[in-house]
Amino acid sequence: MIKQNYTHDQLIELVRNRNQQAFSYLYDNYSQALFGVIHSILNDFEESEDVLQKTFLKIWNSFSSYDEKKGRLYTWMLNIARNLAIDTTRSRHEKMKTKIQSRDENVDRYEGKMFIEETSHETIGLKKIVQTLKEEHKVIIDLAYFEGYTQEEISKKLNLPLGSVKTKVRQAILRLRELTKDEYLN
Amino acid sequence: MTKDEIISSGIMETYVLGIASHDEVALINRLCLEFPEINNELELIEKSLIHYASQTSKPLNPVLKNEIVSQLEFSAKENNATKVISIAKSERRLKLYKYGMAACLFLLITSLAYNLLLNEKLKNLVVELQKSEDEQNYAVKEININKLALASIRQQLQIVAKPKVITVVLNGMNSLAKNSAKIHWNTVTDELYFNASQLPKSPDSKQYQLWAIVAGRPVDAGIINWSDSGGIFQKMNLIKGAQAFAVTIEKVGGSVTPTLETMCLLGNV
Repeated sequence: MIKQNYTHDQLIELVRNRNQQAFSYLYDNYSQALFGVIHSILNDFEESEDVLQKTFLKIWNSFSSYDEKKGRLYTWMLNIARNLAIDTTRSRHEKMKTKIQSRDENVDRYEGKMFIEETSHETIGLKKIVQTLKEEHKVIIDLAYFEGYTQEEISKKLNLPLGSVKTKVRQAILRLRELTKDEYLN
Repeated sequence: MTKDEIISSGIMETYVLGIASHDEVALINRLCLEFPEINNELELIEKSLIHYASQTSKPLNPVLKNEIVSQLEFSAKENNATKVISIAKSERRLKLYKYGMAACLFLLITSLAYNLLLNEKLKNLVVELQKSEDEQNYAVKEININKLALASIRQQLQIVAKPKVITVVLNGMNSLAKNSAKIHWNTVTDELYFNASQLPKSPDSKQYQLWAIVAGRPVDAGIINWSDSGGIFQKMNLIKGAQAFAVTIEKVGGSVTPTLETMCLLGNV
Protein backbone atom coordinates (compact mmCIF):
# COMPACT_ATOMS: atom_id res chain seq x y z
CA MET A 1 0.00 0.00 0.00
CA ILE A 2 1.27 3.43 -0.95
CA LYS A 3 1.75 5.61 2.13
CA GLN A 4 0.26 8.98 1.45
CA ASN A 5 0.99 12.07 3.40
CA TYR A 6 -1.74 14.60 3.95
CA THR A 7 -1.48 17.98 5.57
CA HIS A 8 -3.67 18.56 8.59
CA ASP A 9 -6.19 20.57 6.54
CA GLN A 10 -6.23 18.09 3.65
CA LEU A 11 -6.92 15.21 6.00
CA ILE A 12 -9.80 17.07 7.67
CA GLU A 13 -11.28 17.92 4.28
CA LEU A 14 -11.07 14.29 3.12
CA VAL A 15 -12.60 12.95 6.33
CA ARG A 16 -15.45 15.47 5.98
CA ASN A 17 -16.04 14.01 2.51
CA ARG A 18 -16.25 10.50 4.02
CA ASN A 19 -13.25 9.40 1.98
CA GLN A 20 -12.29 5.82 2.70
CA GLN A 21 -8.58 6.39 2.08
CA ALA A 22 -8.67 9.17 4.64
CA PHE A 23 -10.11 6.77 7.18
CA SER A 24 -7.37 4.30 6.39
CA TYR A 25 -4.81 7.04 6.94
CA LEU A 26 -6.40 8.05 10.25
CA TYR A 27 -6.40 4.49 11.46
CA ASP A 28 -2.87 3.69 10.33
CA ASN A 29 -1.39 6.81 11.90
CA TYR A 30 -3.38 7.20 15.10
CA SER A 31 -4.95 3.90 16.15
CA GLN A 32 -1.92 2.58 18.02
CA ALA A 33 -1.49 5.85 19.94
CA LEU A 34 -5.19 6.11 20.79
CA PHE A 35 -5.13 2.47 21.81
CA GLY A 36 -2.14 3.24 24.05
CA VAL A 37 -4.13 6.00 25.77
CA ILE A 38 -7.17 3.76 26.22
CA HIS A 39 -5.07 0.87 27.43
CA SER A 40 -3.26 3.09 29.92
CA ILE A 41 -6.63 3.86 31.47
CA LEU A 42 -8.29 0.44 31.28
CA ASN A 43 -5.29 -1.89 31.46
CA ASP A 44 -7.25 -4.65 29.75
CA PHE A 45 -6.33 -5.50 26.18
CA GLU A 46 -9.70 -6.83 24.97
CA GLU A 47 -11.72 -4.15 26.68
CA SER A 48 -9.38 -1.55 25.18
CA GLU A 49 -9.96 -2.99 21.71
CA ASP A 50 -13.72 -2.57 22.19
CA VAL A 51 -13.25 1.01 23.28
CA LEU A 52 -10.91 1.72 20.36
CA GLN A 53 -13.60 0.41 18.01
CA LYS A 54 -16.18 2.70 19.64
CA THR A 55 -13.70 5.55 19.42
CA PHE A 56 -13.26 5.23 15.66
CA LEU A 57 -16.99 4.81 15.08
CA LYS A 58 -17.56 8.00 17.03
CA ILE A 59 -14.77 9.85 15.23
CA TRP A 60 -16.27 8.91 11.86
CA ASN A 61 -19.93 9.32 12.67
CA SER A 62 -19.74 12.57 14.62
CA PHE A 63 -17.02 14.22 12.64
CA SER A 64 -19.35 17.14 11.92
CA SER A 65 -18.86 18.19 15.55
CA TYR A 66 -15.11 18.59 15.09
CA ASP A 67 -14.14 22.27 15.05
CA GLU A 68 -10.61 23.19 13.90
CA LYS A 69 -10.85 26.36 15.97
CA LYS A 70 -10.94 24.33 19.16
CA GLY A 71 -7.82 22.30 18.52
CA ARG A 72 -5.99 19.86 16.35
CA LEU A 73 -7.59 16.73 14.97
CA TYR A 74 -5.44 14.43 17.12
CA THR A 75 -6.39 16.38 20.25
CA TRP A 76 -10.07 15.96 19.41
CA MET A 77 -9.66 12.21 18.77
CA LEU A 78 -7.62 11.89 21.94
CA ASN A 79 -10.48 13.46 23.92
CA ILE A 80 -12.98 11.01 22.45
CA ALA A 81 -10.75 8.01 23.23
CA ARG A 82 -10.01 9.26 26.75
CA ASN A 83 -13.64 10.01 27.57
CA LEU A 84 -14.89 6.66 26.30
CA ALA A 85 -12.20 4.87 28.30
CA ILE A 86 -12.96 6.84 31.45
CA ASP A 87 -16.70 6.14 30.98
CA THR A 88 -15.80 2.45 30.80
CA THR A 89 -13.88 2.60 34.08
CA ARG A 90 -16.86 4.34 35.67
CA SER A 91 -19.28 1.64 34.59
CA ARG A 92 -16.71 -0.87 35.74
CA HIS A 93 -16.64 0.91 39.11
CA GLU A 94 -20.43 0.83 39.23
CA LYS A 95 -20.38 -2.91 38.67
CA MET A 96 -17.75 -3.33 41.35
CA LYS A 97 -19.73 -1.18 43.75
CA THR A 98 -22.87 -3.25 43.34
CA LYS A 99 -20.85 -6.44 43.69
CA ILE A 100 -18.93 -5.56 46.77
CA GLN A 101 -20.53 -2.81 48.76
CA SER A 102 -17.32 -2.13 50.56
CA ARG A 103 -13.97 -0.58 49.72
CA ASP A 104 -12.85 2.97 49.56
CA GLU A 105 -15.30 4.66 47.17
CA ASN A 106 -13.00 7.59 46.55
CA VAL A 107 -10.18 5.59 45.10
CA ASP A 108 -8.02 8.07 43.35
CA ARG A 109 -8.09 7.36 39.64
CA TYR A 110 -4.35 7.81 39.28
CA GLU A 111 -3.36 5.78 42.30
CA GLY A 112 -5.74 3.04 41.27
CA LYS A 113 -4.13 2.91 37.91
CA MET A 114 -0.63 2.79 39.33
CA PHE A 115 -1.66 -0.11 41.45
CA ILE A 116 -3.03 -2.06 38.51
CA GLU A 117 -0.02 -1.20 36.37
CA GLU A 118 2.40 -2.57 38.87
CA THR A 119 0.61 -5.87 39.05
CA SER A 120 0.01 -6.12 35.30
CA HIS A 121 2.16 -8.26 33.05
CA GLU A 122 1.12 -6.38 29.95
CA THR A 123 3.77 -3.72 30.38
CA ILE A 124 6.51 -6.26 29.96
CA GLY A 125 8.42 -5.96 26.69
CA LEU A 126 7.61 -2.35 25.93
CA LYS A 127 10.07 -0.18 24.10
CA LYS A 128 12.67 1.83 25.82
CA ILE A 129 11.17 5.32 25.73
CA VAL A 130 8.58 4.42 28.31
CA GLN A 131 11.27 2.84 30.42
CA THR A 132 13.89 5.54 30.02
CA LEU A 133 11.56 8.48 30.69
CA LYS A 134 12.24 9.88 34.16
CA GLU A 135 9.52 9.19 36.67
CA GLU A 136 8.74 12.88 37.30
CA HIS A 137 8.26 13.44 33.56
CA LYS A 138 6.28 10.24 33.11
CA VAL A 139 3.89 11.17 35.91
CA ILE A 140 3.06 14.59 34.54
CA ILE A 141 2.66 13.32 30.96
CA ASP A 142 0.46 10.46 32.07
CA LEU A 143 -1.75 12.78 34.09
CA ALA A 144 -2.15 15.36 31.32
CA TYR A 145 -2.16 12.95 28.40
CA PHE A 146 -3.80 9.73 29.52
CA GLU A 147 -5.89 10.82 32.45
CA GLY A 148 -6.99 14.14 30.96
CA TYR A 149 -6.29 16.09 34.12
CA THR A 150 -6.74 19.85 33.83
CA GLN A 151 -3.87 22.17 34.71
CA GLU A 152 -5.59 22.93 38.06
CA GLU A 153 -6.00 19.23 38.83
CA ILE A 154 -2.34 18.57 38.03
CA SER A 155 -1.25 21.48 40.24
CA LYS A 156 -3.29 20.11 43.15
CA LYS A 157 -2.26 16.53 42.54
CA LEU A 158 1.47 17.22 42.35
CA ASN A 159 1.52 20.15 44.76
CA LEU A 160 2.83 22.49 42.10
CA PRO A 161 1.98 26.18 41.70
CA LEU A 162 -0.59 26.49 38.86
CA GLY A 163 1.83 28.77 36.95
CA SER A 164 4.52 26.13 36.74
CA VAL A 165 2.33 23.29 35.41
CA LYS A 166 2.82 24.41 31.82
CA THR A 167 6.58 24.62 32.27
CA LYS A 168 6.71 21.16 33.78
CA VAL A 169 4.59 19.78 30.97
CA ARG A 170 6.91 21.43 28.47
CA GLN A 171 10.02 20.01 30.11
CA ALA A 172 8.55 16.51 30.12
CA ILE A 173 7.57 16.70 26.49
CA LEU A 174 10.92 18.16 25.49
CA ARG A 175 12.54 15.15 27.06
CA LEU A 176 10.12 12.93 25.21
CA ARG A 177 11.05 14.63 21.96
CA GLU A 178 14.74 14.06 22.58
CA LEU A 179 14.12 10.38 23.23
CA THR A 180 11.94 10.12 20.15
CA LYS A 181 14.62 11.79 18.05
CA ASP A 182 17.24 9.39 19.46
CA GLU A 183 15.06 6.46 18.58
CA TYR A 184 14.57 7.65 15.04
CA LEU A 185 18.31 8.16 14.69
CA ASN A 186 19.12 4.72 16.00
CA MET B 1 4.51 37.57 24.63
CA THR B 2 6.89 37.12 21.76
CA LYS B 3 6.82 34.11 19.51
CA ASP B 4 9.79 32.53 21.29
CA GLU B 5 8.28 33.22 24.69
CA ILE B 6 5.15 31.43 23.61
CA ILE B 7 7.14 28.50 22.31
CA SER B 8 8.98 28.15 25.61
CA SER B 9 5.92 28.79 27.81
CA GLY B 10 4.40 25.32 27.53
CA ILE B 11 1.11 26.69 26.10
CA MET B 12 1.66 24.75 22.89
CA GLU B 13 2.16 21.48 24.75
CA THR B 14 -1.04 21.99 26.74
CA TYR B 15 -2.75 22.94 23.46
CA VAL B 16 -1.90 19.58 21.89
CA LEU B 17 -2.84 17.72 25.09
CA GLY B 18 -6.24 19.45 25.03
CA ILE B 19 -5.83 21.09 28.42
CA ALA B 20 -5.16 24.69 27.31
CA SER B 21 -7.66 27.42 28.22
CA HIS B 22 -10.00 29.03 25.65
CA ASP B 23 -7.84 32.13 25.40
CA GLU B 24 -4.69 30.06 24.94
CA VAL B 25 -6.36 28.00 22.21
CA ALA B 26 -7.43 31.17 20.42
CA LEU B 27 -3.92 32.60 20.74
CA ILE B 28 -2.26 29.53 19.28
CA ASN B 29 -4.78 29.34 16.42
CA ARG B 30 -4.03 32.95 15.53
CA LEU B 31 -0.25 32.43 15.66
CA CYS B 32 -0.49 29.29 13.52
CA LEU B 33 -1.89 31.34 10.67
CA GLU B 34 0.87 33.90 11.10
CA PHE B 35 3.96 31.76 11.75
CA PRO B 36 4.63 28.44 10.05
CA GLU B 37 7.17 27.67 12.79
CA ILE B 38 4.41 27.56 15.37
CA ASN B 39 2.50 25.06 13.29
CA ASN B 40 5.67 23.07 12.79
CA GLU B 41 6.36 23.04 16.50
CA LEU B 42 2.82 21.83 17.22
CA GLU B 43 3.33 18.96 14.78
CA LEU B 44 6.58 17.92 16.45
CA ILE B 45 4.95 17.95 19.89
CA GLU B 46 2.04 15.93 18.54
CA LYS B 47 4.36 13.45 16.85
CA SER B 48 6.30 12.79 20.05
CA LEU B 49 3.07 12.29 22.00
CA ILE B 50 1.71 9.92 19.36
CA HIS B 51 4.95 8.03 19.35
CA TYR B 52 4.96 7.80 23.12
CA ALA B 53 1.38 6.55 23.46
CA SER B 54 1.96 4.03 20.66
CA GLN B 55 4.67 2.42 22.74
CA THR B 56 2.73 2.00 25.95
CA SER B 57 0.94 -1.13 24.76
CA LYS B 58 1.41 -4.18 22.61
CA PRO B 59 0.63 -3.80 18.88
CA LEU B 60 -3.01 -3.94 17.85
CA ASN B 61 -4.50 -6.95 16.13
CA PRO B 62 -4.49 -6.03 12.39
CA VAL B 63 -7.93 -7.64 11.98
CA LEU B 64 -9.46 -4.85 14.05
CA LYS B 65 -9.12 -2.30 11.25
CA ASN B 66 -11.32 -4.25 8.83
CA GLU B 67 -13.83 -4.88 11.58
CA ILE B 68 -14.17 -1.15 12.09
CA VAL B 69 -14.18 -0.32 8.36
CA SER B 70 -17.06 -2.74 7.80
CA GLN B 71 -19.18 -0.69 10.22
CA LEU B 72 -18.59 2.68 8.57
CA GLU B 73 -20.16 4.47 5.66
CA PHE B 74 -17.97 6.04 3.00
CA SER B 75 -18.60 8.25 0.02
CA ALA B 76 -18.46 6.60 -3.40
CA LYS B 77 -14.86 6.01 -4.40
CA GLU B 78 -13.26 8.77 -6.37
CA ASN B 79 -10.07 8.59 -8.33
CA ASN B 80 -8.40 10.34 -11.22
CA ALA B 81 -9.61 7.83 -13.79
CA THR B 82 -13.23 8.47 -13.00
CA LYS B 83 -12.60 12.20 -13.04
CA VAL B 84 -11.17 12.00 -16.56
CA ILE B 85 -14.12 9.96 -17.67
CA SER B 86 -16.46 12.39 -16.08
CA ILE B 87 -14.89 15.30 -17.98
CA ALA B 88 -15.28 13.40 -21.24
CA LYS B 89 -18.80 12.62 -20.19
CA SER B 90 -19.55 16.21 -19.41
CA GLU B 91 -18.24 17.27 -22.83
CA ARG B 92 -20.45 14.71 -24.46
CA ARG B 93 -23.27 15.95 -22.30
CA LEU B 94 -22.57 19.53 -23.40
CA LYS B 95 -22.81 18.43 -27.04
CA LEU B 96 -26.02 16.63 -26.27
CA TYR B 97 -27.34 19.80 -24.66
CA LYS B 98 -26.48 21.77 -27.81
CA TYR B 99 -28.34 19.30 -30.03
CA GLY B 100 -31.11 19.22 -27.49
CA MET B 101 -31.40 23.01 -27.52
CA ALA B 102 -31.42 23.08 -31.35
CA ALA B 103 -34.10 20.40 -31.43
CA CYS B 104 -36.13 22.29 -28.84
CA LEU B 105 -35.89 25.53 -30.83
CA PHE B 106 -36.91 23.77 -34.01
CA LEU B 107 -39.85 22.18 -32.26
CA LEU B 108 -40.83 25.50 -30.73
CA ILE B 109 -40.82 27.30 -34.10
CA THR B 110 -42.69 24.46 -35.80
CA SER B 111 -45.19 24.43 -33.01
CA LEU B 112 -45.70 28.21 -33.25
CA ALA B 113 -46.23 28.00 -37.02
CA TYR B 114 -48.63 25.13 -36.59
CA ASN B 115 -50.45 27.11 -33.93
CA LEU B 116 -50.91 30.05 -36.31
CA LEU B 117 -52.21 27.70 -39.00
CA LEU B 118 -54.60 26.05 -36.57
CA ASN B 119 -55.76 29.42 -35.32
CA GLU B 120 -56.60 30.48 -38.89
CA LYS B 121 -58.46 27.24 -39.47
CA LEU B 122 -60.29 27.72 -36.23
CA LYS B 123 -61.43 31.20 -37.28
CA ASN B 124 -62.80 29.80 -40.56
CA LEU B 125 -64.54 27.04 -38.69
CA VAL B 126 -66.16 29.55 -36.35
CA VAL B 127 -67.47 31.54 -39.33
CA GLU B 128 -68.77 28.39 -40.97
CA LEU B 129 -70.34 27.26 -37.76
CA GLN B 130 -72.11 30.62 -37.43
CA LYS B 131 -73.36 30.27 -40.99
CA SER B 132 -74.70 26.79 -40.43
CA GLU B 133 -76.28 27.90 -37.17
CA ASP B 134 -78.05 30.67 -39.04
CA GLU B 135 -79.17 28.18 -41.66
CA GLN B 136 -80.42 25.88 -38.98
CA ASN B 137 -82.36 28.68 -37.30
CA TYR B 138 -83.87 29.59 -40.65
CA ALA B 139 -84.81 25.96 -41.25
CA VAL B 140 -86.41 25.75 -37.84
CA LYS B 141 -88.42 28.88 -38.61
CA GLU B 142 -89.47 27.41 -41.95
CA ILE B 143 -90.54 24.24 -40.27
CA ASN B 144 -92.54 26.19 -37.70
CA ILE B 145 -94.19 28.19 -40.47
CA ASN B 146 -94.98 25.00 -42.33
CA LYS B 147 -96.36 23.45 -39.19
CA LEU B 148 -98.65 26.43 -38.71
CA ALA B 149 -99.69 26.24 -42.36
CA LEU B 150 -100.35 22.54 -42.04
CA ALA B 151 -102.39 23.08 -38.89
CA SER B 152 -104.47 25.73 -40.60
CA ILE B 153 -105.00 23.50 -43.66
CA ARG B 154 -106.09 20.65 -41.40
CA GLN B 155 -108.53 23.01 -39.68
CA GLN B 156 -109.90 24.14 -43.05
CA LEU B 157 -110.24 20.57 -44.13
CA GLN B 158 -112.15 19.69 -40.97
CA ILE B 159 -114.52 22.59 -41.56
CA VAL B 160 -115.10 21.67 -45.20
CA ALA B 161 -115.41 17.94 -44.60
CA LYS B 162 -118.36 18.19 -42.20
CA PRO B 163 -121.51 16.52 -43.74
CA LYS B 164 -123.84 19.52 -43.37
CA VAL B 165 -121.45 21.92 -45.09
CA ILE B 166 -122.24 22.84 -48.64
CA THR B 167 -119.78 24.45 -51.02
CA VAL B 168 -120.89 27.14 -53.44
CA VAL B 169 -118.59 28.19 -56.29
CA LEU B 170 -118.54 31.93 -56.90
CA ASN B 171 -117.73 32.70 -60.54
CA GLY B 172 -115.79 35.79 -61.54
CA MET B 173 -117.33 38.62 -63.53
CA ASN B 174 -116.37 42.16 -64.58
CA SER B 175 -112.87 42.93 -63.14
CA LEU B 176 -112.44 39.35 -61.78
CA ALA B 177 -113.74 37.56 -64.86
CA LYS B 178 -110.81 35.18 -64.85
CA ASN B 179 -111.02 34.35 -61.12
CA SER B 180 -113.24 32.31 -58.86
CA ALA B 181 -113.78 31.62 -55.16
CA LYS B 182 -115.78 29.28 -52.92
CA ILE B 183 -118.18 29.54 -50.03
CA HIS B 184 -118.45 26.79 -47.40
CA TRP B 185 -121.69 27.12 -45.52
CA ASN B 186 -122.87 24.96 -42.66
CA THR B 187 -126.62 24.95 -43.05
CA VAL B 188 -127.11 23.65 -39.50
CA THR B 189 -124.85 26.01 -37.54
CA ASP B 190 -125.07 28.88 -40.13
CA GLU B 191 -121.27 29.18 -40.07
CA LEU B 192 -119.90 30.64 -43.27
CA TYR B 193 -116.35 30.58 -44.70
CA PHE B 194 -114.90 32.43 -47.67
CA ASN B 195 -112.23 30.49 -49.53
CA ALA B 196 -110.12 31.87 -52.37
CA SER B 197 -106.80 30.49 -53.58
CA GLN B 198 -106.06 33.49 -55.74
CA LEU B 199 -107.66 36.88 -55.39
CA PRO B 200 -106.08 40.06 -56.79
CA LYS B 201 -105.48 42.94 -54.39
CA SER B 202 -108.48 45.25 -54.13
CA PRO B 203 -107.95 48.78 -55.53
CA ASP B 204 -106.55 51.36 -53.11
CA SER B 205 -108.84 52.41 -50.27
CA LYS B 206 -111.33 49.67 -51.29
CA GLN B 207 -112.19 46.29 -49.79
CA TYR B 208 -114.01 43.18 -50.92
CA GLN B 209 -117.34 42.64 -49.17
CA LEU B 210 -119.39 39.38 -49.15
CA TRP B 211 -123.16 39.48 -49.44
CA ALA B 212 -125.77 36.76 -48.97
CA ILE B 213 -128.98 36.96 -50.89
CA VAL B 214 -131.72 36.00 -48.48
CA ALA B 215 -135.32 36.15 -49.69
CA GLY B 216 -134.16 38.29 -52.66
CA ARG B 217 -132.43 40.89 -50.47
CA PRO B 218 -128.69 41.37 -49.91
CA VAL B 219 -127.44 40.72 -46.35
CA ASP B 220 -123.96 41.79 -45.23
CA ALA B 221 -121.81 38.66 -44.66
CA GLY B 222 -118.63 40.52 -43.71
CA ILE B 223 -115.54 42.23 -45.12
CA ILE B 224 -112.88 40.03 -46.71
CA ASN B 225 -109.38 40.59 -45.35
CA TRP B 226 -107.03 40.32 -48.29
CA SER B 227 -103.60 38.83 -47.55
CA ASP B 228 -100.27 39.09 -49.41
CA SER B 229 -100.16 35.42 -50.25
CA GLY B 230 -103.42 35.85 -52.15
CA GLY B 231 -104.88 32.75 -50.51
CA ILE B 232 -107.80 33.45 -48.20
CA PHE B 233 -109.79 31.19 -45.87
CA GLN B 234 -111.83 33.39 -43.62
CA LYS B 235 -114.77 32.89 -41.30
CA MET B 236 -117.62 35.28 -42.18
CA ASN B 237 -120.85 36.32 -40.47
CA LEU B 238 -123.51 33.72 -39.63
CA ILE B 239 -126.04 33.43 -42.45
CA LYS B 240 -129.43 31.68 -42.51
CA GLY B 241 -131.47 30.62 -45.59
CA ALA B 242 -129.34 32.18 -48.33
CA GLN B 243 -130.16 31.50 -52.00
CA ALA B 244 -127.02 33.08 -53.47
CA PHE B 245 -123.71 34.77 -52.49
CA ALA B 246 -121.96 37.71 -54.12
CA VAL B 247 -118.81 39.79 -53.61
CA THR B 248 -118.66 43.54 -54.37
CA ILE B 249 -115.84 46.10 -54.06
CA GLU B 250 -116.75 48.66 -51.42
CA LYS B 251 -115.12 51.50 -49.54
CA VAL B 252 -112.90 50.62 -46.60
CA GLY B 253 -115.00 49.45 -43.69
CA GLY B 254 -117.74 48.19 -45.99
CA SER B 255 -121.17 49.50 -47.06
CA VAL B 256 -124.68 48.90 -45.76
CA THR B 257 -126.00 48.09 -49.22
CA PRO B 258 -123.98 46.58 -52.06
CA THR B 259 -122.84 48.64 -55.06
CA LEU B 260 -124.08 46.48 -57.89
CA GLU B 261 -121.69 48.00 -60.46
CA THR B 262 -118.69 46.64 -58.58
CA MET B 263 -119.99 43.07 -58.22
CA CYS B 264 -117.10 40.73 -59.13
CA LEU B 265 -118.06 37.26 -57.86
CA LEU B 266 -121.44 35.52 -57.84
CA GLY B 267 -122.79 32.01 -57.22
CA ASN B 268 -126.14 30.37 -56.51
CA VAL B 269 -126.70 27.84 -53.74
